[in-house]
Parts: sequence; C-alpha cells; structure tokens
Amino acid sequence: MIRLEGVSKSYKAGPKALTDVNIDVDRGEFVFLVGSSGSGKSTLLRLMLREDKPDEGRIWVAGKELSQLAPWKVPYFRRNIGVIFQDFRLLPNKSAFDNVAFALEVIGKSRKTIATQVPQILDLVGLSDKMGRLPSELSGGEQQRVAIARAFVNRPLVLLADEPTGNLDPDTTWGVMRLLERINRTGTTVVMATHDVSIVDSMRRRVIELDHGTVQRDQTRGVYGLGV
Amino acid sequence: MAISIEYVVRETGGNLWRNRLMSLAAVLTVAVSLSLVGAALLIKQGVSTATSQWQGGVQLLIFFQPNATLTEKRSVATQLGQISQVKSFFYVDKAQSYQEFKSLMANEPDLLNAVTETQIPPSYRVVLKDPAEAPSIGQIFSGQPGVKTTEYNFGAIRTMLDLSSIAQAVIIAVALVLLLSASVLILNVIRVGIFARRREVSVMKLVGATNWFIRIPFMLEGLAQGLVGALVAMAGVFGIQALFNYAINHFNVKLLSGFVITSHDVLVTELFVLAVGVVVGAGGSAIAVRRYLEV
Repeated sequence: MIRLEGVSKSYKAGPKALTDVNIDVDRGEFVFLVGSSGSGKSTLLRLMLREDKPDEGRIWVAGKELSQLAPWKVPYFRRNIGVIFQDFRLLPNKSAFDNVAFALEVIGKSRKTIATQVPQILDLVGLSDKMGRLPSELSGGEQQRVAIARAFVNRPLVLLADEPTGNLDPDTTWGVMRLLERINRTGTTVVMATHDVSIVDSMRRRVIELDHGTVQRDQTRGVYGLGV
Repeated sequence: MAISIEYVVRETGGNLWRNRLMSLAAVLTVAVSLSLVGAALLIKQGVSTATSQWQGGVQLLIFFQPNATLTEKRSVATQLGQISQVKSFFYVDKAQSYQEFKSLMANEPDLLNAVTETQIPPSYRVVLKDPAEAPSIGQIFSGQPGVKTTEYNFGAIRTMLDLSSIAQAVIIAVALVLLLSASVLILNVIRVGIFARRREVSVMKLVGATNWFIRIPFMLEGLAQGLVGALVAMAGVFGIQALFNYAINHFNVKLLSGFVITSHDVLVTELFVLAVGVVVGAGGSAIAVRRYLEV
C-alpha cells in the first residue's frame, strides 16, 4: 500500500531531513512512526501526502508513484488518503456536520449523498448528538473525532495521522485510538506519527523508529523505546 | 470535475458577506479609481473634440460655399500648391465636416436639427511653415470665387492647442497610473481576504479539492466586487459629465468653448470602465489566489 525506496529529502536550511529511507507497508497495516522531534516523521508524512517531493528515491502510495504524478492529478490522489493532525484543522466557522460535509462537497458529491453519509460517519465517531456544534463548542477529543470523520468519510485506502493525540488528555487519547483501530479494522492502512509512549507500548503494533532522518528500527509488534 | 452551481453561489455569497468590510473596501477602491480614470478619459476626449479642426498643426481653414464648384475648389488647390509658405494642405469634404460639426455641437440640439449635411461647407486645412503668415495667406483667398470665409488660429486656439496636448499627455499618464494602482489595490484587497482564509484553502487541498474548485469562488468574488465597483464608477462618470456640461453652459470660459463630450464618448468610456472593473476584479483574484494553490 505504501512503499518508499531510497528516499532522501533535505530542506534549504538545516541538515538532511531524511536519508535513504526504505519502508514497505502492506494493506491494512497499522504503523507507528516514532522518534524525537526533528527525526523526520512529519517530513515522511508530507511526502506520502505529496505535499512535497523527495530529492531522491521513489514513493508509492495507494498504487500511485508520487514523483510521476502530474500536479493536476494530486487532488484526485488525495481523495484516497485521509489525514488528521495534532491541531485538528477544522474550519472554525462551520459546524461539525458542515466540516465533514465539506470534504464531500469538495469532491462533488450530491446533496443527497452528503445528507445520508455525514450523519452516519458522525454516528460512527460518537458525535451524532453534536452535529450542529461549532468546533469552538466542542472539546479537543470531540474536535479530533470530527477531523477523523472528515478524513474517513471518503473511505480512504490510507489514513495518515500526525500526532493526533498530541493535544489530548490520556482518557480522550484512548477514545481516539479506539476509533483509529476500528477504522484500521475496516481495511484502511493507518500510519501514525506519535510521541506517546503508553499508546505505542500497549497497542503492540508495528513500530518504525526514525532518528536524524534514517530508519533506526522497524519492528512488528514493537514498543516505543528499545530494551524490551 | 463536478462543481455544483449551488455550491459556488453559496460559497461566493457567503464569502462576500463574511468579508463584507473587505468587499466594501474593494468595491470602493474600484469605484473611485475607475471614476477618476473615466473622468480623465472624458476630459481627454472633450479636449480632442474641441480642437479637432486644428489637429495635425493646421493653422488656416479655407471654407467654401456649400455650392462651390469643382473648378473653384481646384483653383484654390492650385494656388495653395504654388505658395512657398504652405507646407501641406488637405481637403475635408461635406460628410467629414458634418461629422465634425455634429460632435462640436452635440450640446446644442436645436442648432444640430436646423442644419443638414448639404448646408455644411467643405474646406481646405492648411499647414504653414510659419504660423504668423496665416492672416496674410488667408487674405489671398477670402473673396475668391467659391470661398465663403477663411479662419486662422488666433492666439486663444493656439494656446488651447498647446495646453491641450500637454493636458492630454498628463491625463493619459494619470489615467494609466490610476489604473495600475486600482489593479494593485484590488489584488491586495483580495489577497488579504484570501490570506484570512488560507486555512480554509489548505483544508480544501487536504481533502482533495481541485485548484479550479478552490479558485472559482474567489474569482467570482473578485468579479462581483469589480462589477459593483465598475457600476458605481459608471454612475460617477455620468455625474462628472453632467458637471462638465453644467460648467460649459454656465461659465463663459473662452478656453472651454467647443469643449464637448459627445454621448458616444460617454458610452465608450462607460464600457471601458465596466470592462476594466470586471477584468481587474476577476484577474486580480486569480493572481492573488495562485500562491495558495501550489501543491
């Protein structure tokens, strides 16, 4: 589902963000990307989303070779990818319902489809009673649920998550993680960058550790730190 | 690419309303700049109509009787050709003269209705090597068979002509600068509006919106602002024209005599203002949105 071959990337300022990264992720896998700040996790996610291009190497996501992808095809590629962020990135002046509906409107879905799919997905994330609320009227955990609903409403093949629990307290974090697991069980490949040791340790999923832009460790059923 | 009209209308309308202060600023900017551009164009056209007879350095007019014969006209032409002081000359026939008369007298419909093309005298327009010679050369022809009268450009016209050519250059320069600053202002106003919504744009891109899908509501927004601004400016141009006409009719300023803005001039100016408003509005927003669309 995701394949990186000899991927390197550097930005104008600073050292190389990624050096010769090789990763293979199968359909339906749940992968944690761990590593300290600046280890290259976010760069990796940006490259997978084709927000940026690698200097060297090749990347395949959801059957597309990203460096070969024409710019005008990028939006269509992104429709197969869901993304969530630490800061949720909801539109502040739209209700929970409208935020999710927006993702469908943008890709030209009919009003009828929107009217049936949005309540369904909000029910799935447990927000069916808060559809009309603005993001400012929702808690952090609820906002992230809206963001997940928006990312998942198109049934993407891949879900990329950049520190999705970074702003949440432990209880809320678990709620979000259970949701991501549930999405993963539907066959969606999940790649999640995180700093949260307890999540990684207790979920026992594949762990890829990055350090200064190189893959230090790639372990199935791994934990956050070494020495276990 | 499926873009529903309903989505576009709702999105554009919503954006305009949400950013109504910005929209107002954009509209006013367009309206004021384009009114000034329009006024500049009207002045330019007014001056050029007023001095149309004297354009090309013409210093002497020889008017024929409306019924002057071909032989009489030829005789004048032959003589003109023999005078060493004459640099060049050309013939203006009845039809051309009538057109000129119509635009000069556009403000006086009674006179315009009373005169027909057949009553208009054709003329020779003469350019001299030395303008000071105009009276003496005019003397030669006045009273000749077929010649009705001669006119040479006395001081006032000379002054007006000099002033008008300077004025026209200045006005065109001012109009260009105004047009440029209007474009930049509109572009900036839209850019500020888009900057305020860059988050929205980035979310749109994340969920796979095509660039056109993002761009169209912004462009329509700019278009609407440009259009409304242009409509206000069009009203402004009418107002300015009325003001000119009032000034011409109520103050007997020698320099303004013959300063005429025809309805054709006004129409052209209005259409120009409208077109520029629309192009600047839509184009400005397209340019402003571009940098937020890089994938």
